[in-house]
This record gives sequence, structure tokens and C-alpha cells, in this order.
Amino acid sequence: MRIKPIWAIAKRELGFYFNSPIAYVVITAFLLLCGAYLFIFGKGPDGQTFFDGDVASMRLLFEAIPVFFIFLVPAISMRLISEEKRSGTIELLVTMPITDTEIIVGKFLGGLVFIGIALVATLPLPILVGTLGELDLGAVVAGYIGLLLLGAAYLGLGLMTSVWTQNQIVAYLLGALLCAFFYFIGGMVESVWTGAQDTVAFLSFESHFTNIARGVIDTRDVVFYLSMTALALVISVQSLQSRNWK
Amino acid sequence: MIEVQDLRKSYDTFEALKGISFSVARGEIIGFLGPNGAGKSTTMKILTGFMPQSSGTVRVAGKDIADAPLESRARMGYLPESTPLYGDMLVYDYLKHSAVLRGVAKGDLDRKTLSAAKMCGIADRVGQKISTLSKGYRQRVGLAQALIHDPDILVLDEPTSGLDPNQIVEIRNLIKRLGEDRTIILSTHNLPEVMATCTRMLIVHNGQLVADGTADELEARENANQRLRAAFRLADTTPAELASKLSALPGVAGVTADDHASDRDVEAAAHLLIDIEPGVDVRASISSLAIDEGWTLLELTRERVDIERLFRQLTQEV
Repeated sequence: MRIKPIWAIAKRELGFYFNSPIAYVVITAFLLLCGAYLFIFGKGPDGQTFFDGDVASMRLLFEAIPVFFIFLVPAISMRLISEEKRSGTIELLVTMPITDTEIIVGKFLGGLVFIGIALVATLPLPILVGTLGELDLGAVVAGYIGLLLLGAAYLGLGLMTSVWTQNQIVAYLLGALLCAFFYFIGGMVESVWTGAQDTVAFLSFESHFTNIARGVIDTRDVVFYLSMTALALVISVQSLQSRNWK
Repeated sequence: MIEVQDLRKSYDTFEALKGISFSVARGEIIGFLGPNGAGKSTTMKILTGFMPQSSGTVRVAGKDIADAPLESRARMGYLPESTPLYGDMLVYDYLKHSAVLRGVAKGDLDRKTLSAAKMCGIADRVGQKISTLSKGYRQRVGLAQALIHDPDILVLDEPTSGLDPNQIVEIRNLIKRLGEDRTIILSTHNLPEVMATCTRMLIVHNGQLVADGTADELEARENANQRLRAAFRLADTTPAELASKLSALPGVAGVTADDHASDRDVEAAAHLLIDIEPGVDVRASISSLAIDEGWTLLELTRERVDIERLFRQLTQEV
């Protein structure tokens, strides 16, 4: 893998997002949603809103963003390859002197930077919370790192579905479905088959996020998200290469 | 430069290529000719590494493209059919992006981007968004991205389709200029284009190569008689006299009236098609015959290879 072509592809994707109003609209909407959820309608497991409790904490929001991401991240990833296929530009892209891995990693990186920017846009929220009370800075940093890791795993899944089709809507729906599946799988199985709980909890994006939302970064969780991301990217590269199957 | 051996490609049950072999030397401009669905695009997609063949080999500069895919791609510039480009990008940004992907060194990026734009006549459009360009300009952007890294080989799939006659001539001249020091393979189903630009043509039909050679070679091979077109003033003679005396000349195989003569003076002149035997030039004897007989020779041209006739012969369904 070479950095130059990877970064060129990532930069092209970022250029696409930010040269149109879509990116600004999406990021603003995401920020408003996060703010409204944290301060107004978000409720913790005990039924308390942010102002009902007396702790200045981002936890309420950190537990909700993984669900928001199910809708947001596939919207970022849906066009990455499918649009190239639909418009035919894929033919130029894959005949460039670059490898399929470089293409996939470049596309992934472009999406990841976008997610990073969307997360940075929410930084006014912890700053605001910090003015209201004593904010645990470590927990906030852990939460953001965790969200970026989770976002990367979602993005991998979304990119994978984008390789599978030339229809952006199909890529979005499949991607969102896969993200939702991996997020809720723990809760779903728990309620019907307690015996498999541990195994399934291991696969669930949610169970790996509970620690992170509390502000604890466990190596196992980090490794889990990174391997899920890597797995999705490997499948994406294989799917892109499937045109080579004779 | 390029050697293709027994190339085959099947899509599910459809056999798109049924064993094509040819080789291309440096500096040749190859016209890849054939009806729609003959296998032109398929061959180009395999050459450029977009998809693999079912069997057979392709060598670029002596190396199998399956063994050294990146190396062979780096030697090539490719303009796919219908010119797919990123419409949301500015021409300059797009060309520069292509240059990076095609491996142009960082220090050369701006210089090569500008020189490719200049070569393709789009230097004044580099600040424009690609989606706002006309078809002709899009085509030139496509060409510019293909030659931005100064490749040895250019593969152009229908580079002039959808252009107006002026644009076609411009692109053709550009291709000729580029072909002076490069190998170019271009596909088309436009016959005059091949005649005008290519040094050699390959005619494919139903996934098979049915002809390979220069226009003259192809005609010789097909043993099509050479033809002259002549016009004589009718005031001096009659068509019957012309026909009988011309037919008597050695080397003339037959004389027929030219029904396609579109001149307005068709009333005043006899337009004739003179078929001549292969390898003979009877123009001199025709003009001296005209002088001896006191005819006025208005027109005498050697018809270039009737490539359309040849094309139809070779590609007609049996």
C-alpha cells in the first residue's frame, strides 16, 4: 500500500462531500440532533433527562450516537463505490496503476475523515456541559475515541455494501441494516436465548460500547472494532476483485 | 509493444472473444474496427486490465499483464467508451488527481497537468466544472487524463463518438499528432475515421479477427479490383464510344457508368467507373487515349480502397 494514491482518493471523496451543500447540511443536522438529544429529549435508563440528574456527563449522548450513526454512516459510505459503478468511472479507477486495496483504503479514509469532522463538530457540546459542572475529561476523550472506532466499523460495513451494488439506495439500506444488526444483536438474542448470550454479546457492537460510554477504554473493545473494520475492508477488496473471477 | 495471443472471453454462456491474436509495434496507430458487439470494447477492457480474459495471454513490453498488472497499466493511458469522468470536479483538479493516481512525480504535477490540458486544447477550460462541459470538451478531458503521464500506449474506446464533424476532425488531428511517438489503439465503427487516422486496421466480427493490415494490404488480400473514376465531356464523344475504346486498353477490366456521380454537370459529362487489373496503372494510357481521340478529360481519380465495401463483406452475417 502506498500513501500517495490512497490519500489522493480520500481527498477526492472529501472534495465531493465538501464541494456540495450536503456535507454542511448533514453535519449541522447531526450537531442539532446531538444537542437536542443531550439536553432535551434524551432519557437515561432511569428515565431521567440531562437536567433531572445532577452530573455533568456526556454519557447520555455517547450511548445514543451509536444509534444515530446507524443512519448517518451508511449515508456517507453508500456512494463510495456504487456511484463509480453506476457512472462507469470505476473502469478508469481500477485501470489506474494502483491496487484494489489502495482504492478501498482510500475510499475508507475519505469517509473516516468525514466522520471525524462530524464528531469534531459536536465538540461545543462537551464544552457547554463543562461550563455547567465538573466534566470528566478522560471520559469524554474515551467516548470520542470509541465513537470514531465504532464509526470506522460501521463505515467498513457500509463500504462493503457499496461495493456490492451500483445503486446507492440499496447500498444505504443494506449498510444501515447490517450496522443495526450488529448493534442490536446482543439485545435481540438475549431476550430469546439466554444460553448464547455471551457468544453473541461478543459480536455485538453495543456490548463493546458500554464500557467506552462509561469512559473506560478496554483493549478488547478496541481490538474488536479494529478487527471488524479490517474484516469488512478485506471483504470489500475481495468483492471489488470479484470482477476478476474467471 | 503489445502482443495478444489467442484471447478468449466468455460472459456466462456468451462467447464474446473467440481467440484473437495480433501484435502492435511502437508508433503504430491501430484502428480497431467492427460492428457493435463484435468484441472491440471487450478486447480493450482486457488490454487495460479492467477485467481478465478467460484464456490466452496479453503481453505489454514483453511482460504478461497478469504477472505485472501495475507496471503494464502505468505504461498505458485509457479512455473508456462514453468517457466516464467525475462531473463534480473542476477540470484542473480532475486532471491533477488522475496524474497522482497515474504515478506522476509530485514536482511534475502542475507542469504535466497544464501541458496535457494544452495539448488537448482545454487550457482555457481548466477552471470549469466537468459536468458543465460540452460533449466535445468532456472527450478532450478524457483524452488529457489518458495521456497525462506520457504513456507509451494509448487505448481509446470510440474517442470520436457523439462529436460533431468539427470536433471529430480536431480529435483526429490530435490523435495523429499523439501517434507520432506513441502506440495508439483506437476502436470505432466509423470507417472514414480509420482511413483518416490509422496506420493499420484490425477488423473484428463475432469475436474473431477477420482482417489485419493496412488499407492497401487488406484490399490486395481481398483481391478487390482497383478502380478509377473518370469524367469526359459529352460534347466530344458518346458514352458508348468511351466504353468500347477504354475497355480495349490493356489493363482495363471493365467500364461502367458511375451512378453515384453527384456533379451538377451530369448532363454534360459522362461519369465512368473504370475497373483495372491488380497492379497496373492505366492513368497515363487513358489520358493519352483522350488526347489522341480529341476527348476532353474532366476528371480522373484513383478511388481509394473501398473500405466500406470490404467492411460489409467481412462482417456480414452469413
